[in-house]
Amino acid sequence: MTTRRTLLETGLALSAGLALPRIARGASPKVVVVGGGFGGGTAAKYVKKFLPAAEVTLVERDRQFVTCPFSNLVIGGLVKMEQITHGYDKIAKRGVEVVHDEAVAVDPVARKVRLKGGGVLDYDRLVLSPGIDLDYEGLPGYSEAAAEKLPHAWKAGPQTLLLKKQLEAMPDGGTVIIVAPNNPFRCPPGPYERAGMIAWYLKKNKPKSKILIFDPKETFSKQALFFESYEVLYPGMIQWIGGKQGGKVERVDPQAMTVEAGFGEEKGDVINVIPPQRAGKIAQLAGVTDEKGWCPIDPKTMESTKAPGIYVVGDACIAGAMPKSGTAANSQARNAAAAIAAALEGKPAPEPSYANTCYSVVAEGYGFSVTGVYGATPEGIKEIAGGVSKLKAPAKDRDLEAAYAVDWYRGIVHDAFG
Amino acid sequence: MGTQRIVLGLAGLVFSATTTGGAGWALAAPSVETITRNCVVCHGPKEAGQAEIPTLANYPAKKMAEMLAGFKADQKPATIMNRIAKAFSDEQIAAIAEHLGTK
Ligand SMILES: Cc1cc2nc3c(=O)[nH]c(=O)nc-3n(C[C@H](O)[C@H](O)[C@H](O)COP(=O)(O)OP(=O)(O)OC[C@H]3O[C@@H](n4cnc5c(N)ncnc54)[C@H](O)[C@@H]3O)c2cc1C
Ligand code: HEC
Repeated sequence: MTTRRTLLETGLALSAGLALPRIARGASPKVVVVGGGFGGGTAAKYVKKFLPAAEVTLVERDRQFVTCPFSNLVIGGLVKMEQITHGYDKIAKRGVEVVHDEAVAVDPVARKVRLKGGGVLDYDRLVLSPGIDLDYEGLPGYSEAAAEKLPHAWKAGPQTLLLKKQLEAMPDGGTVIIVAPNNPFRCPPGPYERAGMIAWYLKKNKPKSKILIFDPKETFSKQALFFESYEVLYPGMIQWIGGKQGGKVERVDPQAMTVEAGFGEEKGDVINVIPPQRAGKIAQLAGVTDEKGWCPIDPKTMESTKAPGIYVVGDACIAGAMPKSGTAANSQARNAAAAIAAALEGKPAPEPSYANTCYSVVAEGYGFSVTGVYGATPEGIKEIAGGVSKLKAPAKDRDLEAAYAVDWYRGIVHDAFG
Repeated sequence: MGTQRIVLGLAGLVFSATTTGGAGWALAAPSVETITRNCVVCHGPKEAGQAEIPTLANYPAKKMAEMLAGFKADQKPATIMNRIAKAFSDEQIAAIAEHLGTK
């Protein structure tokens, strides 16, 4: 079908000198970024910074971005929704063209992105940072419609407020169930931070209530720190049912308000279902996903191993030892931007340095973290050094880390959207 | 290429044979600009200081080198810098301090 046309186009482009770097031909190179979240915002900003001559277009569906980071704190009542909602004006002021539309197709050969609104964007380099899609079929009984009753709140916005409202409407003595997903998923410590923030709200308002976390996994991120914090802050309120105890949920029932697991059938007053996930759909449409639904990349540049010229950053990519976090997406995007700028100038890609930090805040004045510095190896991205906060640290350290979390938030929002 | 190669072991960790597929791997060193772009996320850009995390604006290079070396050796009190500083060789710490710090 399109093969002939695209081949022809490629042939023409080659004879016009595509073998030379764009810059050398005097044309301004075109970079399109799809997705204006942590990865995409950062990528657009830094490509423009590293290569001011580039025409950078950021395609984002929504006018405003509500961050998942700190959305658990909204649920707990420590932070307001407005405080985690950000616009794109500052990125636009930097000379990035921000287009509020949805990318619906990518032709990786002709190097074009088609938009829902009918537009077509040409690119020399494309960055995809679409985040995740929820795999509703991956959990029997769950669906987009069921999420109106059993919120996931794994994309921040109305779902966050729905979960918060349900908690506020719940009677004292009620049961909250959190259904945690298997690996890999967005924000490995997220479900357990959420349990802490829900407990923070319940302890003050509905102290007879309890929280059950159903989990198919046998271990999870910062597990010992979470357990220690639950014990210190919320004794007896939070129960974790891991894989060994039959924590894997086989089906949910939004009518009966139950979850079915090897552990037994459990009724909840509020049920937060975090379903399995895969890369955002546009990655699949662009042909850069693997059979499991995630995107393999070159660890040195973040360029897709499936389609040259397309770089995938953030939750959608397979980044070796790095977790799916906003900080990881931000750092991957900065390094990808440097690789793109180099490629467009006909230079070799610089050696990357990746970083991650995830603070978890489980009560006012109680935070802890996981952090890592990573490098590219032929076998993937590996951790050079890092680790988690000390167990049994003095209360002062937990208090400091909760305050540092706020600075981290301000800093990363500035780096990605400022 | 190989002007500035460091072996990861120097940076604090030697990967076991199982994680490296038999052969130890060497890593080309990222530039100091690349490394320090990761610091800004917590410390803020020079123009915008943070509330609690100390700013790195107008920070004397000599003191920064001492602090980073102290964090790396677990000799300075820290909640997180002890974990981050272990990623860098002594040469990288010197380069970071020179790049970010003031004379
Ligand atoms: C409850 C919770 C708490 C979290 N807390 C933290 C934390 O404390 N620290 C941390 O580092 N991370 C945290 N995370 C993880 C973090 O939110 C994600 O890892 C991060 O957002 C990933 O960035 P991204 O760019 O890949 O995707 P996103 O930030 O989700 O951005 C994707 C963007 O792409 C847009 N998009 C998708 N497809 C298209 C298309 N076809 N056309 C146009 N636009 C499109 C979407 O609208 C969206 O704005 C948390 C996550 C959750 C759920
Ligand atoms: C995850 C957040 C984070 C990142 C990333 C980070 N820092 Fe820090 N830094 C801190 C915090 C928090 C402190 C206070 C000490 C502590 O608790 O670890 C600190 C302290 C410091 C100090 C000592 C300041 C003083 O005078 O007390 C220096 C110097 C420093 N960092 C340099 C760096 C450099 C260089 C980088 C990048 C390679 C970096 N930091 C990356 C959070 C961070």
